[in-house]
Amino acid sequence: MASALKTYGTLIGFVLVVLFFWIEIPDTFMTAKNWLNISQQVSMLAVVAFTMTIVMVMGDFDLSVGSMASLAGIVAALAFRDGHGVWVGVALALGVGLLGGLLNGVLVAYVGILPFVATLGTLTVYSGLAFLVSGGKTIFGRDIPTAFSGFARSGIPLADMVSLPSLTIVAAVVLLVVWFTLEQTTFGRRLYAIGGNKEAARLAGIRVRRLRFLAFGLSGLGAATAGLMYASRVASANPTQGSGLMLDAIAAVFLGMTMSEEGEPHVAATLIGVLILGVLGNGLTQMSIDSYVREVLIGSIIVLAVASSSLGKTKG
Amino acid sequence: MSLLSIQDLEKSFAGAKALGGACLDVRAGEVHALMGENGAGKSTLIKVLAGVVKPDTGSIAIDGAPVAIGSPADALRLGLRFIHQELSVVPHLSVAENIFLGRDYPRRWGVMIDWDGLNRRAAAVLAGLGVTHIPPGRKMARLSVGDQMLVKIATAFQDASVDGDAPARLYVMDEPTAALSAEESQRLFAVIRRLRAAGAGIIYVSHRLDEVMELADRLTVLRDGATVATRDIAGLQKLEVIELMIGRRFAEGYPPRLAPVSGEVALGVEHLSTGYLQDVSFEVHKGEILGLAGLEGAGQSEVIRAIVGADGGHDGAVSLAGRPVRIEEPVSAWAKGLAFLPRERRQEGLVSSASIAGNVSLPHLDDLVRFGLVLDRAAEAEQAVDLGRKVKLKSKGPKQKVRELSGGNQQKVVFARAIAGPPEVLLLDEPTRGVDVGARYDIHALLRELTAEGKAVVLASSDLPELVYMADRIIVFRDGRVATTVSTEGLDQARLAALCFGSPAAPSA
Repeated sequence: MASALKTYGTLIGFVLVVLFFWIEIPDTFMTAKNWLNISQQVSMLAVVAFTMTIVMVMGDFDLSVGSMASLAGIVAALAFRDGHGVWVGVALALGVGLLGGLLNGVLVAYVGILPFVATLGTLTVYSGLAFLVSGGKTIFGRDIPTAFSGFARSGIPLADMVSLPSLTIVAAVVLLVVWFTLEQTTFGRRLYAIGGNKEAARLAGIRVRRLRFLAFGLSGLGAATAGLMYASRVASANPTQGSGLMLDAIAAVFLGMTMSEEGEPHVAATLIGVLILGVLGNGLTQMSIDSYVREVLIGSIIVLAVASSSLGKTKG
Repeated sequence: MSLLSIQDLEKSFAGAKALGGACLDVRAGEVHALMGENGAGKSTLIKVLAGVVKPDTGSIAIDGAPVAIGSPADALRLGLRFIHQELSVVPHLSVAENIFLGRDYPRRWGVMIDWDGLNRRAAAVLAGLGVTHIPPGRKMARLSVGDQMLVKIATAFQDASVDGDAPARLYVMDEPTAALSAEESQRLFAVIRRLRAAGAGIIYVSHRLDEVMELADRLTVLRDGATVATRDIAGLQKLEVIELMIGRRFAEGYPPRLAPVSGEVALGVEHLSTGYLQDVSFEVHKGEILGLAGLEGAGQSEVIRAIVGADGGHDGAVSLAGRPVRIEEPVSAWAKGLAFLPRERRQEGLVSSASIAGNVSLPHLDDLVRFGLVLDRAAEAEQAVDLGRKVKLKSKGPKQKVRELSGGNQQKVVFARAIAGPPEVLLLDEPTRGVDVGARYDIHALLRELTAEGKAVVLASSDLPELVYMADRIIVFRDGRVATTVSTEGLDQARLAALCFGSPAAPSA
């Protein structure tokens, strides 16, 4: 009974949050339109959190995802300003994300720096680069092609006035890809083994360094994807627009981890974590409650969830 | 009168009986061995004494007076002290600080710590146990595990009456020698004998029958949570003890050879050198078990680790079936048909959060793939079931988490991983350490089967009887070099021990 509460506590908490807003905002909260809206609002956070899950499976962190998202948005916008097409800009941004992620991987896996320190360093580097190449200015207006900014506004119409947003579809595709990678492939199995016991995994013939290197590359790629989504949504790019993503992404993975008996991250659980954050944001905004309250609430929820799930786990 | 008397303890966890009729009687001034297979109830009994687990029924008396041990603090107050194999020491503090941790240090001018005084007091406590080779000012981390344990005992032994604790009367030692070399074990035994002479009672839990026969005065055997017998050690045969523990009769303690050794070389090592190893060369033949012996850290483990590339590069050449191979990482060792069983099961062997199947499959995931990248879970489970049967694994199925298994069964999981593939050569580092008698026999029988199939086995062990009875030849290491190679034909344990220690004139402290 107590263990069930520990495992499902976060899920129950999510349901309670949903019920609360349903009762408080009876007219607009529990509607398809609002949920599709939430799905779009959280899509960027979701992508970062899903790929963050990949590195956290190994017991690592990537603190640089927020500044990488900003940098990727800037890179794409600069490419557009120089007259390159949408696909060139997108490819460049994703390439920068992958390379930046792999650089984190080199530092962590081959140089042997703690992920916390290594990615704290690159966080600052990527953020500085974003300011440097953009001259510290927001790139917007005619520089951003409508084909790019239109993407975030497009969607698949479902019914009157309701459509499935393209950004939601992107997040769903990333979810599927990450789920498949982590849960169905030998690559994922090896990552979980590394997270469980690095030394045992290495001695059992797992290329720990190469896998950590690659996983950080994926995290960088996810961050760049989110940066592009963000830039498309606001039809502009500025060097700080991704900065809120990192803490929320780690928080979402942590919330998800509380749902696993082993305390392991799983991407489906990360989705619940993302939804908790998204629903809180959406509901509180609709109730016209100050966004600072959301911060206090989210922080408290994370501490509570992690505390309740680690009770009894770390005895003695 | 008995110092400690335990009557008919019963304890169930979620319906499963851990203790059912456990009795134990310990006199002052005796070493009382507590034996039994893994899962026989030894740990639960100790936990009851430590005040960590509350028994359902039963009674405990000290000096004939019934006591209730509701918490670890109660146990301490009653004069019970516990020495576990996993030591809780503060590695970056000195020996003296560890001994007096949490107590008032002697002071100078009221505020400054009198370090000399502290060290003197620590030295006195150690000397009281006959330990004079440990400098009290040395950092704990720089001591060997055996010496750390002696310090830990000294901490328990010191007269604590000034601080209100009862003086130690009964020591409970749970597998204290599991990580110790033969030399360190002898030091520990000397200390234990002193404690006994001082009138303390010692409950000594160990899987090592030989040391129990050497050290203990009486033994109590538990099986399935109940006390089977309490006997005097004098006049007791080892085989009797084994029979008491497992309740079935072995023809002998070790399974016989099934097939002769072939002449073909399976693994060749030439001039292997690392920072520590010096010019090690040997060959292992198909169907042969080559034992690696020596004192703790003499080079046995290092050779195995160097061959599989566990610690990076080495000089020298390694060949498999005559063909030279280059192995710089464990992954290439597995790929080339070398299986490796590391020394520390929990730290180096198992991913305890993963399932049995997930642990077995780790080095073999590339063989369990469909469409190039999808893990074939059915094949993985099947592999775990097949190999689990072969190693006589007792489990609830391939999906069970390995951390729920007993030590012996965990080791069988690591064995199942090693024999998957299947490998041509098995490199085993202490394969039966901390494993109960039944599982140990199963593992030995498995080694016989594997060699009969033509596999070559390299067996590093600190368990001398295991080497003498299981190996065909033994290489003895000393200080990172091959000291000598002996055939086990007609070899006895005492002679092997003498070889490990070097000449009788060799320095021993």
